[in-house]
Amino acid sequence: MIRLPCPAGSAMALAALVLTACAIPRAGGPGVEPLRLEQVAGRGDAPRRASTRIVMQGLDADAAGRGEEALDDYQSALRVDPTNPWAYLALARQRAAGPQPRAALAALDQAEARLRAEGDLAPGVEAHLVGLRGFVLVASGDTDEGRRLLEEAARLAPGPWGDGRLDASELR
Amino acid sequence: MAAGRGSGASRARRRSRRARGATGARRRSRTGLRPQRAAAIALAILAFGAGIYAGRTVVRLDRIVRARFEGQLFRIPSRVYAAPIILYPGLDVERAGLRAALARQGYREEASARVDQPGGFHWEAGRVWIHVRAFDHPARPQPARPIELRLRGSHIESIRDRATGHELAAVPLDPELVGAYYGADREQRELVRIEELPPHLVDAVLAVEDRRFERHRGIDWRRVAGAMWANVRAGDIRQGGSTLTQQLVKNFFLTPERTLSRKLHEAVMALLVEARYEKEAILEAYLNEIYLGQRGPTGIHGIGEAARYYFGKPASTLDVAESALLAGLIQSPNAISPYRHPDRARARRDLVLDLMRQQGRLGEAEYEAAVAEPLALAPPTVEPRESRYFLDALRRELPSAYDHELLTSGGLTIHSTLDLRLQQLATEALRQELAALEKAHPALRPSGGQRLQGCVIALRPQTGEVLALVGGRSYGESQFDRCTQARRPAGSAFKPFVYLAALEAGGGTPAITLASFLEDTPLTLETPAGPWQPANYDHEFHGRVPVREALERSFNVATARLGQQVGIERVVDMAHRLGITSPLPPVPSLALGAADLSPLELARAYATIANGGVRPEVRTFEDLVDANGEVRERRAIAFERVLDPATSFLGVSLLAGVVDRGTGRALRSGGLTGPVVGKTGTSDDSNDAWFAGFTPELVVVVWVGFDEPRGMKLPASRLALPVWLHFVREATGGDIRGDFAPPPGVVVADVDPETGALALARCPRRRPEYFLEGTEPTDTCPAGGIFVREREGEPGEPASPIERWFDRWIRGLL
Repeated sequence: MIRLPCPAGSAMALAALVLTACAIPRAGGPGVEPLRLEQVAGRGDAPRRASTRIVMQGLDADAAGRGEEALDDYQSALRVDPTNPWAYLALARQRAAGPQPRAALAALDQAEARLRAEGDLAPGVEAHLVGLRGFVLVASGDTDEGRRLLEEAARLAPGPWGDGRLDASELR
Repeated sequence: MAAGRGSGASRARRRSRRARGATGARRRSRTGLRPQRAAAIALAILAFGAGIYAGRTVVRLDRIVRARFEGQLFRIPSRVYAAPIILYPGLDVERAGLRAALARQGYREEASARVDQPGGFHWEAGRVWIHVRAFDHPARPQPARPIELRLRGSHIESIRDRATGHELAAVPLDPELVGAYYGADREQRELVRIEELPPHLVDAVLAVEDRRFERHRGIDWRRVAGAMWANVRAGDIRQGGSTLTQQLVKNFFLTPERTLSRKLHEAVMALLVEARYEKEAILEAYLNEIYLGQRGPTGIHGIGEAARYYFGKPASTLDVAESALLAGLIQSPNAISPYRHPDRARARRDLVLDLMRQQGRLGEAEYEAAVAEPLALAPPTVEPRESRYFLDALRRELPSAYDHELLTSGGLTIHSTLDLRLQQLATEALRQELAALEKAHPALRPSGGQRLQGCVIALRPQTGEVLALVGGRSYGESQFDRCTQARRPAGSAFKPFVYLAALEAGGGTPAITLASFLEDTPLTLETPAGPWQPANYDHEFHGRVPVREALERSFNVATARLGQQVGIERVVDMAHRLGITSPLPPVPSLALGAADLSPLELARAYATIANGGVRPEVRTFEDLVDANGEVRERRAIAFERVLDPATSFLGVSLLAGVVDRGTGRALRSGGLTGPVVGKTGTSDDSNDAWFAGFTPELVVVVWVGFDEPRGMKLPASRLALPVWLHFVREATGGDIRGDFAPPPGVVVADVDPETGALALARCPRRRPEYFLEGTEPTDTCPAGGIFVREREGEPGEPASPIERWFDRWIRGLL
């Protein structure tokens, strides 16, 4: 339900908020732990947990080269929880590697919007969003911007993005 | 002499013959040796002609036999399956309707928790055992799997695979049949291959239908003789001596009439079939062809289909007793139907078992065990009739190559997006609420051959899956689908598109914010059709009204003015981006919903708003698999961002107000709590009533009206809204998951409700409001005041000097 917000706090509180926000390290510092879905599998309500585990099952299928089965799992995951950002992220990863990489951008956008709405856009996740966007751009011909984003992703999370791509097993 | 005489006589005869002309033939037949020879010649000619005729007939029959056997042997209607129910820890099995779903799918409820055969279940307090059936799909083959659900209350606590002992994250049930595309014959069958069948099934059929099948060549002469003798003794045709091959030929090629000519054709064709094809192929064709009962209006043909219908399992898993029952049914499936006449069916089954024993096809111990078994039938299933509108809509979504012929005979399998539980709830909601309306309002009762109609469509906004589609009150009465084929004026249900166009920054400054005011005062616009003067539903003008109130109370004049302010072209653009596909005339009345839309496209546009500005591709199916198991069509999830999430959220917030305070508030008084938003729509003269709305995971559009437009003299809140409320309340169980949270780019500021100005510390009134970042009001209340607001102080109290300093500092920063 949309809740109309309470009136904002006092100026002191606002200032404190600004100062606190400045103190939060920005995404991109070395040592950022890249997200793996197994870290978030236990989060959320029952549909979210079940949905995320189905996504992980799909990533296993993807890693084993069973793309159709994986796609089916991602769609099943969205049937259980249509707001699950990890399902969109996995879908984006699969589409980025497919024949129509630009189709990944919409899924990526969905994942990002939902992660932002849920306040779950941690630096380890942002690395994947940036990297996947870069991967799609390179794959679809926008190489300069794409490479820049891939380098950014590699800087954020050299583990999974050091080779310029995100394998299904690296997201799982 | 004799020769001379003879010669003379001969000449005389020749003369005489010439003189008598044609009549000579009749005479020849009456006299001596020469006529005999002539008769023999005639007979030979006749025989030759008959031979030619017979030969040609045999060739013709052979051609028919080959065309059938070497072409498409069976016409198999394509089947449509619902989206599978997915079981997972946390699922409320009562709300998901698990028990009802198992019954609909023909799962047998068993007395113990053993449940060792697929298609069975056992339900106890706190635990459920299900032996999930296998399901064949090229991308996701599901093996048969025995599982155990542990429940806490009505929620699944855990799922365990009983075979491996592993805990499972989620288990899909085999999908439920929605329906099929039948030809004129309405036959349904599931093809089986003979090598997949248990030997005792073949033995049971042969024992009772054709014990010498392995030895005869199409006709069992011993059996024919026996039947003839029995018929002669009875003085009537009581017994047939047909072999299994003859039965197959009769079913494939001939009519059931009892004439000599048909019997001859049958015999010849049986011999041809046996001469051309292997016994196994003939038996397989027979087992797939044979009629075995009726499922509502649909004939059940073949052992495979019958095994599913009577026992809820594939034919490959039939046991001896089940096989004997099916074999016994062949003689007269309806007269000995195990559902209607279980005693007759059991007696017939036992007879088959006895024949199997007598013929050495069954051992004594097996016989005793099988005879002792109860019938153990699956609950009878019927194809849900309420899904016909959906099936038609799905057919229209398929490429044109999938025509009637292919769909009715190609044996395709289509995995749809339909949620059968929601479909049933939607059907029931429409039926009950329209009946209640007719009862309460005499003006809505049938007249002039017209009956009040309606439709309900439900989508999942994130994925575009059509979850329920009810195109009218009764498919039998009218196949016209009012959800996808009808286009009617959307009335005020269109207005959110005007407000969204006005709220969108679009690279500049939005025309309004949610704190703005609109003029609801008399308006006259010149149009090519003459002056246009919009009026409100209550025939009053309300002066200067806040934007929220204008939509919540659905003020026409204020909205028409807003349409003019924004520009109708931008409204058209917004509606099209959101998902409206119908042509929209760029006229002033468009702002009030003068354009004709289908409920489907309205649902899609509302889904885009629900989905944060991401437009989903609407889908009725996921994939289509051909008879060879190849995926031929796939409709993968697809979507596109068409509106920024922040603007979309402002639209959601506006629509929330409609339900909380405006024309949709009957949803709240009707008991619906939680995140629900929506909009009523009533067209001119109350010809059409709409309610379009959504929860975070379900978009529903309802239309109510007459096919031939007729004024209903009631607002949509009393016509369409009750259907919507009924359906959504049942569908969600009153427990609506999720929330509409403001995305980044939306900020909150307190405003003065009377002026829309930013409410400062000393402003006497205030309410929080959402704004696109950077569009907060610059005017303040009190005018010229400072930015700082108070949380705990009394409104109107002056801010402290430190706060004033801080305010200036913050302003400078921003």
